Amino acid sequence: MQKVMPKTTPQAITLTNTALLKYTLFSVIFAASALLIVILPAEYNIDPTGIGQKLGLTVFHDAEIVSSDPLSLQASAAVTETIAVIVPAGKGVEYKFIMEQYQKLTYEWDTDSQALYFDLHGEPKGDTTGYFESYAIATLDEMKGSFTAPFAGSHGWYWKNETDTPITVQLTVKGEYVQHGLK
Amino acid sequence: MPTIMQRYVLFTFIVLFALWLPFDVFAHGVDERTRAFLLQNTGVQIIPFLYIGAKHMVTGYDHLLFLVGVLFFLYKRRDILLYVSMFTLGHSLTLLFGVISDIQVNAYLIDAIIGLSVVYKGFDNLGGFSRLFGKSPNAKLAVLIFGLFHGFGLATKLQEFQLPDDGLIANLVAFNVGVELGQFSALAFILLIINFWRKHHSFTRFATSTNCMLMSAGFMLIGFQLTGYFIS
Repeated sequence: MQKVMPKTTPQAITLTNTALLKYTLFSVIFAASALLIVILPAEYNIDPTGIGQKLGLTVFHDAEIVSSDPLSLQASAAVTETIAVIVPAGKGVEYKFIMEQYQKLTYEWDTDSQALYFDLHGEPKGDTTGYFESYAIATLDEMKGSFTAPFAGSHGWYWKNETDTPITVQLTVKGEYVQHGLK
Repeated sequence: MPTIMQRYVLFTFIVLFALWLPFDVFAHGVDERTRAFLLQNTGVQIIPFLYIGAKHMVTGYDHLLFLVGVLFFLYKRRDILLYVSMFTLGHSLTLLFGVISDIQVNAYLIDAIIGLSVVYKGFDNLGGFSRLFGKSPNAKLAVLIFGLFHGFGLATKLQEFQLPDDGLIANLVAFNVGVELGQFSALAFILLIINFWRKHHSFTRFATSTNCMLMSAGFMLIGFQLTGYFIS
């Protein structure tokens, strides 16, 4: 079925000066009223007419959000720390960082050439069931990367030394965390 | 055998459905899950970046308003393709340039300019520029310029995530291709409605009020974004 565009297909609107002015003014006035009565009260709690309040649109701002954006926290103090973790022969060691949700940690670690089995994982705060989420499991002698805590809790490595000599892990981290240590 | 039209409609709906599944409209923002992805991402991730690029376009109502304005009197396939590509060209240039050279532009101001682009197109469609100056500005150039601004705005937002350099260029290119794909799917939808409507008398009757409302929506966007700029 072939459809032919009707000859009347409009190409443009031609208005008289008065009509153009009228439509333009209307669009400005309509936009201004929508902004003042509805949009600004709801979005920014700016309510010059008081109608926004009466309509219940300022309700979004009644309960001030207590916790600030975790992303803005993150930008503040990120210092680089280097930690030496000794993994005794035939033993496993866990080194964890207490982090809030969405805090980010950039890390880099290496051993003195020996590869170690590890499990990079996180445990939710206050969890008693022993639940944990693994982010990476492998056997390597070095690792570099970053992760963002998917939930508040302790996040870090479990290293297992299967050799009969102690292995030292040099761990360098940069990011946001409340505290860290052996667990 | 289905007609071309039917196939076109089917294709459009499949694409739209796929893009709209996690639908949270947040004009030019980045929603929570995308945020989490961007923060954790490392290396080249073509498909995810393609997807967020496309989603950014399909769910950005300010951009969709601009598209409605641009397409209102366009129906030749060649013209449509040309206009959309001009936009993508501008958008890609500044997005790449902005992220690579760490240029940050205030997002509120950029979004206000996008609002202005909607006002411009509405006024242009009403024949305002021809009436005032005897001719209307070069529409292709205007689309290119607004594309440039749009790219800067997004570059600023993407930089908040400190995207790793590893695979950055490939990811950004994928993002831009996604923007183009997203545009085409949004376009298909808008065109379908406009072309259908064009055949009816009401199109001519309501063309003026539609463009007037379009202009008004642009003014609202400007007011909304400028207020955000001044109070933040």
